[in-house]
Amino acid sequence: MKKVVLSVTLALMVATAGEQFAMSDADRAMYEEMLENNPADIFVAEGGEIFEEELGGEEALAKFLGIEENALPKYIATFPRYIEKLGNVVGVDQVLQAMMAEQGKEQIKLKDPKMFAILAYVKSLANDEQFNIDINANEHMKASYELGKQTFMTPRGGRGLSCNSCHNKDTIGLILRTQPLPDLAEAGAGATWPAYRMTKSSLRTLQRRFQGCMNNALMAVIPIGSKEMVGLELYVSKLAQDKQKAIAVPGLKR
Amino acid sequence: MQKKVKFIACTALLSTALTAVNASDLTKTYEMPDATKILEKDLLKPATTYTLPKSCNLNDTASIARGEYIFHNLNGDQAKDAPPEGIVKSIEKDGKKEPKQYGNCVACHNIEGAVGGGNIGPDLSNYKTYFIDTKIRDAQFVYQKIADPRIDNPATHMTVNLTTGLFDEQEICDLTAYVMSKK
Ligand code: HEC
Ligand code: HEC
Repeated sequence: MKKVVLSVTLALMVATAGEQFAMSDADRAMYEEMLENNPADIFVAEGGEIFEEELGGEEALAKFLGIEENALPKYIATFPRYIEKLGNVVGVDQVLQAMMAEQGKEQIKLKDPKMFAILAYVKSLANDEQFNIDINANEHMKASYELGKQTFMTPRGGRGLSCNSCHNKDTIGLILRTQPLPDLAEAGAGATWPAYRMTKSSLRTLQRRFQGCMNNALMAVIPIGSKEMVGLELYVSKLAQDKQKAIAVPGLKR
Repeated sequence: MQKKVKFIACTALLSTALTAVNASDLTKTYEMPDATKILEKDLLKPATTYTLPKSCNLNDTASIARGEYIFHNLNGDQAKDAPPEGIVKSIEKDGKKEPKQYGNCVACHNIEGAVGGGNIGPDLSNYKTYFIDTKIRDAQFVYQKIADPRIDNPATHMTVNLTTGLFDEQEICDLTAYVMSKK
């Protein structure tokens, strides 16, 4: 009798232990395979095509930014950054929108998957570069970084949580309903998005990922491209920079 | 010859004029939506002290059952089991039907019967034996902790459940009764 109870308990323990992992073995095998062949590559290639054909590609972007074309990778690694002619600290996607406007092209919305794809392509030009963001470069950068940090730290929403409630040094690696809490710095979150999100079967950007966490935590979701979102991206990218994480886009996420 | 120079000068002038217009315009050519109002409305109110209501009957089995349901589930859409009496699966907000939110306490706490329980908060298994019977904790402490954990620990990583308005006093009472009950 005792033996039966014991084995039932054991079976139960194994079952619950399995659920403790973010990925099942089958998912893990799929992840390994996708690492070789990231499904996002096709989106990124599509983004590249639109970028070349409709916007004039790297040459046009470099010209727009007032830099040499071969300086582009290093320059992209400084975003989000203050662009004087845009009057704000902006993400690469906002620069692309301004280019579309200047060229009289129909503008693609920031939240459009097409924009995610172009952004992924342009950011991938900086692959293997480390971030080189200067948060003290000017008042605009200082303010944006502070706003991002404040947005990260401020508790809000239905459950009174902040990003920092889950992403702080004390809770890293602890389990939130079967999900280990990632270390945003070590995971190089800023350097690995846009990424293919396996659970969503689509290419997502960093700001879109932030929205996911806001939604899960019952925080009001704020729009992509808002000052606060750009600030959050700046804050999270700086975390990756401080850990010397190289840009590797598209990433692959659970 | 002269004509040609003039022409070039002219186009140059024209194009600088055009770029100048564009340049001043560029600050408005991309999306930068305002989020400040959304964020202001969403802010968490200051830490608040609460007293266990007199109406709270910690031995009421119906209350304990409701507390158990709220503890283990995320919301009315995700919950698989039928809710005990007194718990709804959806609510109306601004004329729209949306899932009723539950505590999802199991996301951070292990407890009897937890499936995929987290470990961000302490293990609440055997809570009655270890914490209540030993008088380390009492009902007032547990109620306050669930209602607003910041009173006990200003730097807490736990959710705030009453000050946010997500739950009412009775629901906090149900959770308190469940955590303190013998399981
Ligand atoms: C209630 C807990 C919780 C809160 C609050 C929360 N997150 Fe998360 N976050 C998680 C978990 C868990 C994961 C990992 C999920 C997974 O693996 O799918 C995650 C993943 C992420 C990632 C992806 C990390 C990677 O590997 O690239 C980013 C970026 C992120 N969060 C940012 C934020 C931001 C910004 C906020 C606030 C707006 C926030 N999070 C709020 C729990 C939380
Ligand atoms: C996001 C994580 C998280 C969630 C969700 C959460 N808790 Fe907690 N809980 C904690 C942490 C962390 C503590 C440790 C004390 C502190 O920091 O406040 C705690 C402490 C407690 C304690 C005090 C234990 C003791 O005697 O010291 C109780 C009771 C409790 N939680 C109940 C709940 C209930 C009920 C819910 C759901 C409504 C809940 N918790 C949801 C993280 C969480």
